[in-house]
Amino acid sequence: MEKAIFDNTHIYYDHDSQTQVEAFANVAKFVAECGYVTSADQYCQGLKDREIEATTGFKNGIAIPHSNDASVIKPGLFLVKFNHGIEWQALDKQPIKLGFFLTIPKDGATKHLKLLSKIARKLMDEDFSRTVIENDDRDVLAKAIEEI
Amino acid sequence: MTKKIIAVTACAAGIAHTYMAAEAIEKAAKAKGYEVKVETDGAIGAENILTAEDIENADLVVIAADIKIDPIRFTGKRLYTTDSNAAINDGTAVLEKAEAEATVFGKKGGKVGKIQIGSNKEKVNFFTHVMSGISYMIPMVIAAGLILTIANLYAFQKDDLGRIVKWGFDTKTPMGMLMSNLFQVGQVGFKLMIPLFAGFVANSIADKPAIAPAMIGAYIANDQELLHAKAGGGFISAILVAFIVGYFVKLLKKIKWPKILQPIVPIMIIPFIATLFISLVVFYVIGQPIAAGMDGLYSGLNWINANSASAPIILGAVIGAMIGFDLGGPVNKTALIFGTAVFTDTMRKYGPTHANFVPGTAAQAAISVAPLGVWLASVIWKRKFSKDEKTAASAALGMGLVGVTEGAIPFVAADPIRMIIANVVGSATAGGLVAATGCKFYGGIGSPLGTFIGYIEQPIPFVTWIACVSAGIAVTALIIGFTRTDRVIEAAEQAELGND
Repeated sequence: MEKAIFDNTHIYYDHDSQTQVEAFANVAKFVAECGYVTSADQYCQGLKDREIEATTGFKNGIAIPHSNDASVIKPGLFLVKFNHGIEWQALDKQPIKLGFFLTIPKDGATKHLKLLSKIARKLMDEDFSRTVIENDDRDVLAKAIEEI
Repeated sequence: MTKKIIAVTACAAGIAHTYMAAEAIEKAAKAKGYEVKVETDGAIGAENILTAEDIENADLVVIAADIKIDPIRFTGKRLYTTDSNAAINDGTAVLEKAEAEATVFGKKGGKVGKIQIGSNKEKVNFFTHVMSGISYMIPMVIAAGLILTIANLYAFQKDDLGRIVKWGFDTKTPMGMLMSNLFQVGQVGFKLMIPLFAGFVANSIADKPAIAPAMIGAYIANDQELLHAKAGGGFISAILVAFIVGYFVKLLKKIKWPKILQPIVPIMIIPFIATLFISLVVFYVIGQPIAAGMDGLYSGLNWINANSASAPIILGAVIGAMIGFDLGGPVNKTALIFGTAVFTDTMRKYGPTHANFVPGTAAQAAISVAPLGVWLASVIWKRKFSKDEKTAASAALGMGLVGVTEGAIPFVAADPIRMIIANVVGSATAGGLVAATGCKFYGGIGSPLGTFIGYIEQPIPFVTWIACVSAGIAVTALIIGFTRTDRVIEAAEQAELGND
């Protein structure tokens, strides 16, 4: 995984959020601080809009929220650990404990989009998902993702 | 041999679910020991694109997408469609469901929502039997119709200035006698065609033993003198007779006849009982009411046609629209049967000069509109059609030219609302125009070529028919062309982006 897309500062431990709305707001702020979007509010709205189309939550407490709204500056991946399980209408109805948040530029370069699609595929790998679910250590998480 | 599965995945953003679904399907298929190839139609553009060869060799096609994936390239393949989340949630379950529930895409009799398109060959129903009867009847209609027309032309006796002075045959001259005889030949043909039709409808239901009773029953039902009615029961009574006989014979076949009688059951016992039965039914139950009803219907229809200039055009347009609506499905067949019924009945009753040609002619004019319209659109708007669609469109051209309306089915299956609107409007145009210009279709193929292969009376020989049908085709093509988005262009540009 390229450093430009993900490094270990992209891991965020969200201790407060209890709802999806709160989670989106908090994470959007974090992503904006990292310099991947110009507007936290706009990215947050983008995440919500995407969620309305269909849930991004799938199995084992993992969700993959993403937005390609106009505020996105560059492609990025952010790993967010939620302290409280968050209701997400996931495929297996389980609350979400882990979010892979993606920022996708509107005119995304193919190379970056390919990386994001690789992450998505990786999420179907049970060993990988077990590792990122069960570990909270920043270095272990970063290592798992960097191997993608 | 290893089972080969191909799939296409896509989602709204084209970033995550597309690839997760692809991964899930690949994993599930490999676990089952299948060969698998999954095309991902994501934001990057399509990757791992399925080739024509992949599709050709595939046993099963799965589309797991949240956006519309054009299924036309999978025509003729077993196809199962679901959303991306279903595949992500449980790839194995999706494969198992696909194996159990996939249906052949674009096949005749397939369904688009609740509309059945094309005739469902495996499902024998009312229309199968009626169409079987019609197919046996058509040669007789054409033969009798042509002979009758020749005689009829001669019957318009003209004075020295070429004005028609009276209708009839001068039987004192050898030529007049011959023409009078030919006229009778035509009449006999029209008299026989209804029993012939009934016989073969019954044959389609219950095989040979049903033919004789149905022919006799239908003959009685159509003879006003035998019935002591003002008119015969026509086509409707023939259908009714054929179905009563058909199912009655089916019932008789179920009886466990004594072994000694069995050899003569199909050639003697069943025809005897069934003929007796249907004759009594016609005489005492259905004959008179239907005859009275049909007489009312046809004199009403003729009265409207004679007294309102727009009525035939409206009737023609409606029949045309029905033909284009479901391309060989029940609505289409109803229109076709109605057209044939009105034609044969009024031909027999009033002769070629006063027969009602409108619905039959409109139906034939409309038959080729949908397939040829699609083809024309694909030629004019080349960039709005994918390579696969162009292949399907050339097939539609071939089918359309010989009057096979089913050629447009794959396109309707892929894009029902737009295509049905285009087909219905174009077909109604063709139907309305042939009615307005007074074309008279006796027999032949329902396409622009029908003017050469068949017999159609028209104001300007050969030209009127072609012009009317072509107008319908053009309307369908224009609607398709203007309402289609430039999706092919977009896809091409995306593919170029992907190569950067």
